[in-house]
Amino acid sequence: MFKAPKWYTVLQYTVMIIVALFMFFPIYWIFVNSLKTLTGISSAPSFFPSDPQWENYKTVLSDPSTLLYLRNTLILCVANTAGTLLSSSLVAYPLSRMRFRGRGVVFAIIIATMMVPTATLIIPQYLLFRAFGMLDSFWPLILPSFFAQPYNVFLFRQFFVSIPESIDEAAMLDGCNRWQAFWRVIVPLGKPIFITVGIMSASFWWNELFSPLVFINSDELKPLTVGALTSFQLAGGGNQTNWPLQMAFSMLMILPPAILYICCSKYITDGIKTSGMKD
Amino acid sequence: MASVAVSKPRRAGNPKRHSDAAAAWGFLSPWIIGFLVFSGFPILFSFYLSLTKWNLLGEPQFVGLKNYRDLLSGDSELGRTLVVTLIFTVINVGVSILSSLILALLLNQNVRFKGLFQFFYYVPTIMPSVVMAGCMTLMFNSQLGVVNYVLRAIGVDNPPNWTGSTTLVWVVVAYASVFTFATGQQMLVFSAALKDVPTELYEAASLDGAGAWKKFIHVTIPGIAPMMLFNVVSCTVNSFNGAFTLLYPLTGGGPGDATKVLGLLIYDKAFKSFNMGQACALAVVLFLIVAVIGAVQFKLMDRK
Repeated sequence: MFKAPKWYTVLQYTVMIIVALFMFFPIYWIFVNSLKTLTGISSAPSFFPSDPQWENYKTVLSDPSTLLYLRNTLILCVANTAGTLLSSSLVAYPLSRMRFRGRGVVFAIIIATMMVPTATLIIPQYLLFRAFGMLDSFWPLILPSFFAQPYNVFLFRQFFVSIPESIDEAAMLDGCNRWQAFWRVIVPLGKPIFITVGIMSASFWWNELFSPLVFINSDELKPLTVGALTSFQLAGGGNQTNWPLQMAFSMLMILPPAILYICCSKYITDGIKTSGMKD
Repeated sequence: MASVAVSKPRRAGNPKRHSDAAAAWGFLSPWIIGFLVFSGFPILFSFYLSLTKWNLLGEPQFVGLKNYRDLLSGDSELGRTLVVTLIFTVINVGVSILSSLILALLLNQNVRFKGLFQFFYYVPTIMPSVVMAGCMTLMFNSQLGVVNYVLRAIGVDNPPNWTGSTTLVWVVVAYASVFTFATGQQMLVFSAALKDVPTELYEAASLDGAGAWKKFIHVTIPGIAPMMLFNVVSCTVNSFNGAFTLLYPLTGGGPGDATKVLGLLIYDKAFKSFNMGQACALAVVLFLIVAVIGAVQFKLMDRK
């Protein structure tokens, strides 16, 4: 576009490298400290692990409660992602291409409820699930996903609008009904948005703390996020944390989303591009 | 561009399909149930409970607007929390929009190792907030933290107790929040938008004698405006919803109430002191604030 002067190029790379250092440092620091010993961590911080304690990872991974938390998180991720993909895409379909009275109103309500904060809904939902006798179980955490969330409906709809209507009309001329057209045409063509929303949902539940704190009491139903708050406290030391183990645990919590990102980065960018608020 | 968020459905009118309405409502049924049970009813019920006194035992007692009056009077816990919530949101939205835009602009030029830089900028976004909180606690610890170690090494004799100070704690919060759940994601959105600004527009601007800055103001900014609004809206929503997940493990609202955002206060009122009436009044206030912000943002979108 324009020929950059040399000082500009130098400045550009300097800024980019400094920002990268600042942004990536926490992850590096978690990694370095996950390899230290408890005594090593309280002396002067070293930036490179001199005597890496890989057994910290073994200790964390062989802790039965870590495995239990991991299992619970995986259940939440899988169930909520399945529920979200199914229900939100179904709801988005008629909004993207079917004519019916009231569509404008439905879409307006969906847009309006997109922003309702979780904290506003949590108390009545708590009372609702209490009335159902579902507290301290996975139901309050999983069930709402199966009934479509506005934001995901919106993302699906934006993508579906970009699929030419003539394609599923052709399918219906061949004898498909709407339901079959959805499954045979829209779902296969919508792969990028299914992957994008799926990744978003799984990462959300990998990260979610608020609702498990409210709905779950039993230790054996806690997900990793809640476990991270209480695990690895030193016995008898008040609020002393066993930092090397805590950091190894943290590292294990970073890895799955990082791997997911590396494998799917192409889809994530595509999904953002196509669903990102365009016609 | 009204179509940014609410693009009008295409008029491909096909009159022979009368059965569509029934089918459409069938497809919509999960949302209808979900809306009624999990958000419509809860919002109304919250509003009702906000007019009562109730500690989860027995029946709620109707007290009228007392909860709201209590929130507004006295030491004004609400006022303080609103200010804190506002600061958190402004830092989060402002800093992350600015930094992600700058990063996207830098990466949009011919950069070597672009993928690598993108990786370094994006990966912090995927860090669970709990993990970020733990890491920050370790890094900013006044004794064994690396930040103060470096400060001492460069000659600062009395490095601060970051999380113990009502003002400095915001440095820690800003560092954690901007990098965890905003910058990387928004940078990707901006990068995608920048690629779509037609190059002919830049060429035309060059012919008119525009310099780099003029091109940025008159071509780039209008070209990415829709995505900018998308980022602002989604970052605002994320700030309201993500605040709890980050701040509960990071500061617990402290020191004192310095970082107690509305979400934390609602949680405390409802599930620690079981004061459901007041908690619901706060929930209603939060709902109204977000509704106003949302209405303004969508209005702005529609005008474009």
